[in-house]
Amino acid sequence: MRQDIASSASPGKSAAVAFTVASQLVGAVFLYLILKADGGLQIVGLLALLGLGFFILEKQPWIAEQAMASFARVPLVSMITAGIIVVGFPFIVGSNTYILHLLIVAQLYAVLALALNFQLGSANIPNFATGASYGIGAYVSALLAINFGLSFWLTLPVAALAATLFGFIIGIPSMRTRDTYLALVTIAFGVVVQQLLNNFEWTGGPNGLVGIPAPSLFGHSFADPLVVFGWRLPSQANFYYLSAALVVVAIITAHRLHSSRIGLAWNALRADEIAAKAQGINVAWYKVLAFAVDAFLAAFAGTIYAFYVSYISPDNFTFLVSVTIMTMVIVGGMDNIFGVIVGAFLLTILPEKLRAFSDYRLLFFGVVIIGFLMIRPQGLFPQRMRRYGGE
Amino acid sequence: MSTLLKVENVTIQFGGLVALNDVSFSIEKGSVLAVIGPNGAGKSTLFNVVTGVYKPTSGRVTFDGTEITGRPSYEVVERGIARTFQSSRLFSDLSVLDNVIIGMHTRTRTGVLTALFRPGVARREMDECVRKAESLLKLGSGDLFEQRYRPAGTLAQADRRRLEIARALASQPKLLLLDEPSVGMDETETDALVSDIIRLRKENPDLSVILIEHDMRVVDAFPQHVMCIDYGSRIAEGDYATVRADPRVQEAYLGKAAVHA
Repeated sequence: MRQDIASSASPGKSAAVAFTVASQLVGAVFLYLILKADGGLQIVGLLALLGLGFFILEKQPWIAEQAMASFARVPLVSMITAGIIVVGFPFIVGSNTYILHLLIVAQLYAVLALALNFQLGSANIPNFATGASYGIGAYVSALLAINFGLSFWLTLPVAALAATLFGFIIGIPSMRTRDTYLALVTIAFGVVVQQLLNNFEWTGGPNGLVGIPAPSLFGHSFADPLVVFGWRLPSQANFYYLSAALVVVAIITAHRLHSSRIGLAWNALRADEIAAKAQGINVAWYKVLAFAVDAFLAAFAGTIYAFYVSYISPDNFTFLVSVTIMTMVIVGGMDNIFGVIVGAFLLTILPEKLRAFSDYRLLFFGVVIIGFLMIRPQGLFPQRMRRYGGE
Repeated sequence: MSTLLKVENVTIQFGGLVALNDVSFSIEKGSVLAVIGPNGAGKSTLFNVVTGVYKPTSGRVTFDGTEITGRPSYEVVERGIARTFQSSRLFSDLSVLDNVIIGMHTRTRTGVLTALFRPGVARREMDECVRKAESLLKLGSGDLFEQRYRPAGTLAQADRRRLEIARALASQPKLLLLDEPSVGMDETETDALVSDIIRLRKENPDLSVILIEHDMRVVDAFPQHVMCIDYGSRIAEGDYATVRADPRVQEAYLGKAAVHA
């Protein structure tokens, strides 16, 4: 009966256009302000504003309904607006390489969080090995590039396939264990991978791999500044656009799987495994599949990371990385693509911006996370019901 | 008429407990079998053996000419056996409509590659599922269709039972196993349930149904073939009047003293 109210009050076209454009601009401005913010007071002020926004969203659920209806009404307008904002952002940031760096890392984490979301969000499989898949992607592509001179674009699919294989391997014990025990198995896998990277000679041991060559595209090296119509952007802009493209790929992947029978099957086994089996779902296969898809996307992020920083070591892919990714999914909102991305951005940018609190940085970070989870217990943007047809 | 499901000498033990002891029965295509018996007699265990949840210690289950003893659940569903659960097991955080669409899992084909690289094909299949699911929801008693975007967990008890049946039917079964479908329904709702089943059989003359029931109102509506189980053994089989009159059945339900009093 609720959808009747929603559809009768569904926004007009021009209102929807105004709303989608305005809300995305507000989001972009907020992101810009928080990236630019300097000093504790500004950060606290912005966080308070964000908290207030989510508090209102929690108390007035119709706002979210209306927002979703607006975006659904004019999907093309919202996508074009988002595209313009993403493409234009580096021009506004200008030569500030630190902000660009933060954005690249945030985007890579958004991909990792979207990858984990297939498992944690859709299927409720606690996987603490996403960091390991990320590392495998990074190492495989770096080794191929350093030892065999393979180009970035070739290492990308190879690294993804290698990590997918790893995903299948950790997926197999998932057929036999579940919940807490499965979490332990994945923690073990993650630690083992990190230890192996640390101890093998051919991975460079604790020193890692140095001198990963910058990728190039149509003769343009990613180490060079990007010049567009006379605008000169720092070399980080290359990787900014590359990781933005990967985020788009991840969103499309997530969206297509979520709205197909595969996403439904994952949701089914999350809700009730026995009932899922009784609907003819091969539960074991779908669990392994979730591991494989997770590892595949994580490896893409790993590859871009390796070529971006040109130096990787086992310390980049610790258990802590996996926990961070998991927190992003939980804080952002399980099984909500947009929420997961917001979670990834927030949790990447926040610890950097809290440096003003020096020694109390992590304490404050923890308090902020707990604060947001108290305001929005289901995550910043919780899971939504699927809608079908042109409603 | 030909035999659809044949259960031969099935025994299942959990440690020292014999949950089913040498049970045999069969059901014809297009007929209804009602299974009755006291709580804990092994009726639900019987469903679990047929649907591949449990592997029997000994004995054979044959469905539609193929042996399915101990085959995995997903294969059994694919072959055409659908079931509902005694304590309704809906996907409570998903919508009513999604619950039914998930029931079509074995009748749809989209895999990861199709979903990713041929989104048009995947979407058409999903649209078809939505259409079928909506017509299934319109079919039964109650107003499930109007509630199709509600989370299944928020439905009233009678609607939950109806949704379980709709979800089971979504897999286009040849054999439908209903585990106490009338639990939590009042008399009007139970009557509606009975007419739902009757109408279903009229529309699909080949559909066979096995009902586990405590409500004799329902059993009375399908009196041709009734089986009574007690302590894991089949103690009586025949039409409702015969089974009801059987002294062992009365003993099982009322106790020895009451029957001989």
